[in-house]
This record gives sequence, C-alpha cells and structure tokens, in this order.
Amino acid sequence: MISDRRPWTFYVLALLFTVFVLFLYGPMLSVLVLAFQGPSGSLSFPLQNSSLMWFDEVFNPTRVGDVPGAFWRSFPLAIMVMLLTILISVTAGFGFRRRFRGSSILFYTSIASLIIPGLVLSIGILVTARFLGVSANWLTTGLGAHLTWTLPFGLLIMFAILGRLDPSFEEAAFDLGASRWQVVKEVVIPIVFPGMIAVALFGFTLSYDEFPRSWLTIGTLNTLPLEIWTMTTNVTSPALYALGAMTTGISFMVIGVGLGSIYFIQRKRAGS
Amino acid sequence: MENTDKTAHASGSGEIRLVNLTKNFGATEAVKKVNLTIPHASYCCMIGPSGCGKTTILRMVAGHENPTSGEIFIGDEMVVGQPPVNRGTAMMFQSYALFPHLSILDNVAFYLKMRSVAKADRRKRAHEMLERVQLDHLRDRMPAQLSGGQQQRVALARALITNPKVLLLDEPLSALDEFLRLQMRGELKSLQSELGITFLHVTHTQPEAIALADMVVVMDNGSIEQAGSAREIFDAPSTAYVARFMGAQNVLTGLVERKSRESAILKTSSGDMLEVPAAPVQASVGEAVSVSIRRDLVQVRRAGSRAKGDINTIEGIIEATEYQGNFVKIAVIIEGVDTFVANISDQSYFAEPVVPGDKVTVSWNGSDVHVMAKPDSGIAGSPYGG
Repeated sequence: MISDRRPWTFYVLALLFTVFVLFLYGPMLSVLVLAFQGPSGSLSFPLQNSSLMWFDEVFNPTRVGDVPGAFWRSFPLAIMVMLLTILISVTAGFGFRRRFRGSSILFYTSIASLIIPGLVLSIGILVTARFLGVSANWLTTGLGAHLTWTLPFGLLIMFAILGRLDPSFEEAAFDLGASRWQVVKEVVIPIVFPGMIAVALFGFTLSYDEFPRSWLTIGTLNTLPLEIWTMTTNVTSPALYALGAMTTGISFMVIGVGLGSIYFIQRKRAGS
Repeated sequence: MENTDKTAHASGSGEIRLVNLTKNFGATEAVKKVNLTIPHASYCCMIGPSGCGKTTILRMVAGHENPTSGEIFIGDEMVVGQPPVNRGTAMMFQSYALFPHLSILDNVAFYLKMRSVAKADRRKRAHEMLERVQLDHLRDRMPAQLSGGQQQRVALARALITNPKVLLLDEPLSALDEFLRLQMRGELKSLQSELGITFLHVTHTQPEAIALADMVVVMDNGSIEQAGSAREIFDAPSTAYVARFMGAQNVLTGLVERKSRESAILKTSSGDMLEVPAAPVQASVGEAVSVSIRRDLVQVRRAGSRAKGDINTIEGIIEATEYQGNFVKIAVIIEGVDTFVANISDQSYFAEPVVPGDKVTVSWNGSDVHVMAKPDSGIAGSPYGG
C-alpha cells in the first residue's frame, strides 16, 4: 500500500520544525528589526519611525560603553586564536595519525577542557595567573582561555578530516619522488584545505563570541561579548540591538567567507 | 633543463630478487623468509587469499614498507632503505590515488614537477604520456569527473612517466566492472610487452593471473606455495592448496597400496582404487599421496555400469548442476572428499542429463592424473574459508 498522501506524522514533524525555526531565528530577527528603532521608540515592539541613529550611537558613544574599543580587542583576539587553532590542531592532527604510546590518554586530556565549565576554568586561570605573578590581560590569559575552548574543536575536526584522508595519496606522492615536505605541501594541505577552513571558522567564531572563559581572564579591558553584557545592565536604549545586529553581521560574514571558499575550492575540483 | 636526464632511470635490469624476505607486524608474521626471483621484463602475478602477504611483498618492493629482515634486489642493486624514486619502481594503487585537487595533466606531470622540470617541458611530456593512454582530450578535467577505466589509465600514465624498470600494480582491476576488467587486462598485457619492463601485479582473481602472467606466484600464509608459469600452476599444482586455490582441479588422497615400474595403486579412505603414474610417486607403500585431476578430464555416468574393483572410478551422488553455456559444472558428493567437480561439455551433458540426487560414477584416465609433491595436509579447505 503506497499512497501519495502524506502520513499524519509528516504534519506533526513539519509543525515541530516550524516551531524550532521560529524559536531559532525569531529572536535574531526581532533584534535585527528593533535595531532600526526611531528616536522615540523603546526597547520593545512596535518599531516607530525607523532610523539608523542607534548605529551611530554605537560608533560615537555618548551613553553606551566603549564598543569600538571592545571590538578592536575582540577582533584581533579572534584572529590570533584562529591562527593558533589552525596551526596547533593541524599539526596535532597529523601527529595523532600515527598511534604512539599514550596517544589516547593525550587525546582525552586535550579534549577534556570541553567538559569543564567555562566559568570554573576562567576562575582557575585567574587564580593560577595570580599565583605565577601574571596579571590578567586579554592578550595573555584571555588568549589562553580561548584556546582551551577552540583547540578541542579544532582537533576533533582535524581528526574527522584526516580520518577520511586516504594514506595512498601520500604514498603515491612519495612514490613519485616527492620529499616528505613536498608530500605535505603539494598533496596533503591542498586536499585537507576545506577542513582547515572549517577549523578556522570554529576558531574565529568561538573566540569572538566567548563569554564565560573571558569573564575573569581578559583583565580590565572588555572584549565585545563582555562589553555587551555590561551594557545590558546599564544601557536601556536600542543601541544594544544595533550592536547586536552588527556583531551578528560580522559573524555571518566570517562564516560566509569561510563556506564560500570551501564551495569555491570544491567547485574548482569538480571542474565545472 | 639540466634536470631532464635525472628523470631517466638507468635502463638496467628490472629483475626482482627477494632473499629471505620477512615482515612482521607486531607478533604477526605477514611474510615469512620468502625467496623469489622474477626475471627481467616478465609479467608476474602474485595471487593468494587476502592476508597471505602478497600486498606486503609488493609494498616492500615499492619502498612503502620496510622489511623486518631479508633483502630486495632490483637489477643488481640492494634497494632496502632507499626511497621509491631511487629504486626504479613505480606503483599503481588499488584506489588509483589520483590527486583530487590536480587536473589530469598535473597529476601525470607530478613526478616531473617534483624533479623541478620546467613547466613547459613537463606539460609537453605529460601530454605525450596522456596521448599514449588515449586520454589527452581529458587533460584539463579533474579526477572526480573521470570514469573508473579512465582514472585507471591516468594512474598508469602517472606511474609510467617515471620511466620505471618495474611497475607494481596493487589489484589494479578490482575496482572495474567485468567488461572493463577484461578490456584493461588486455591493455596491461600488451603495454607490458611493448614497454619491455617488469610488471609485478597483485591479484586475488585466478583467471586474471592465468591470462596475464608469464610467472604466477601462489601465496598462502606469508609463504610461497608455488611459483611457475601459468600452465605449470594450472596443470601441475605442487600442493593441494594450489590445486584448490586455482580452482580447476579435484584433489584425492590415498595410501600407496603397491607400486610397479609403470604405475602405483593408491587406496582412498573410502576403499576406492586409483592408478597413477609411478614415476612422480616418491612415497613408499603405506604412505599417503595426493593427486589432482582436472575437472574437465572427468567423465560422469549414471551408476550401474560399474564393474566391481574398477580402477579410477568412484561412486557418488549429484549435489548440484550449473549450466555454464559451453559446459555444465556438476558437483558430486563423494565419501571422504570435500568437493568433487566435473565440467562436462554441454553436448555430452544433454545427451545423458543427470539431476541432483542421482547416483553416478565418476571416472578418468590414469594418465591424466597429476601426482602432487606433498600429500594433502587437510588443513586448507577452501581457500576462501567457506
């Protein structure tokens, strides 16, 4: 009995999915829309006389905090975290391709920080830094705290990618006279490049968004997520939404560039 | 370029000599003290069930695996410890291992690029090599856009551009469908004779080995069971394992009852008498001897026509028949023998058809019996483990 009619479960699941999508994107859309609130508008709907004044407020702060300053800490920090995550997870991924004594213990040790609560880790890093006589700063303890979050992800992604990399590609290159370094440069890196972009994306976005691990480790000057959090407690204008809209925009831009380059590489490989 | 001459290998001998070659993986002995000489410019097929060590030997010759002990010579040179490119070998991988990020032309030119040959020169030579495998029109495509057969030719071109003395092929036809497999088989063979270099080809397909090889090496369990021409392996297997593995033989074992100058009489465990040529029988009276009889040299008749004490005649029951076009494969259940198969021409089968359950006698000429060097150890059943 095959009928063209969809079973009732289809409608239940479709409804469930719709609710999920609304839940996922509804808040984001609300923030996006309310960012264009007019001068007389409040923090909630309806939208009155839309304007760009709150975006201006973000860049030329009179009442809000130091958003540009926070951005120019968060952005370079995310870039640094991204580069270090690529470098470390790619090389570690290759290291783990060969089983060695204690490799699984080392692996579990390195991904354990995924399950340690971020706030606890943040406190731990602060206490340890104080003990060592280092003052907390976004460039030192902050960077380290972010890496505890991004490296396990990077490593897991590299595991998935290198697990699918057929060792005969390397052997073929070696067979054709490539040196060990040429094997890496001419064959392995180009093949795993889309995966490295994925690692970069994770590195960037996880760091750029990170709150709990930043909390106590970035020192006196806030990164963007902490600045926004501070603002929620004392700023009561739609400038908050404008900021939210922009920072979301930056995240999407980074993801778009990343996915776009993966797509571009794969299309080039397919040759169409 | 001054590098051009570097890409030409010494046109020396492509003889491969393995001396006491051993490879252990942990506690497992994958290859056990193998000695073998493969003559220059021959087509050698290594065949055996998976895990028999054939691929490990190939990879050791290629330089992708280091022997635990023993030596490998190519020509006069001991190559153990040398990188593949210095050995004068080129390998074709089972998966072809074409670089997915490079065009067909760049795949073929890869070796020349590694040798720092100038771009124009290497593209020209890759063109020529692609023309040779009739794929020059696809040079700008990516590997993913090619069919299996085309990918294989690219892999071949990429290996041959290194101008090797020895081409190593790891199950090169296993990824192709039946039609392409037969076509590529023919092309490999003619390519080999045209190039005049040594081909070492690992396979698990008997017809492939028989059709291609000047020399067939049958392996089991890390050791060579028999090495010889395809005809020797097929017609005169030295062990019951080889006879069963090559698949065209029935194996029978009996104790020597008596021996004369011309013939020896063997008595099987079921009490049947076999008469075999005496010369190859080394065992004395009372000892076990195994013989093989080709499936196509066996006659099958309905039971009843048998005189008591007939020699080279055994009774059995038909287990199954399978029509193969020009012959019919008949499996017969015989006491004390695990499989007995007769291949009967379709004409004689249909003249007197038999069906499963029929009682029959199978018989053959004593002169068609091949006496094997070693008695059947009885350990190896079907080489496929079934």
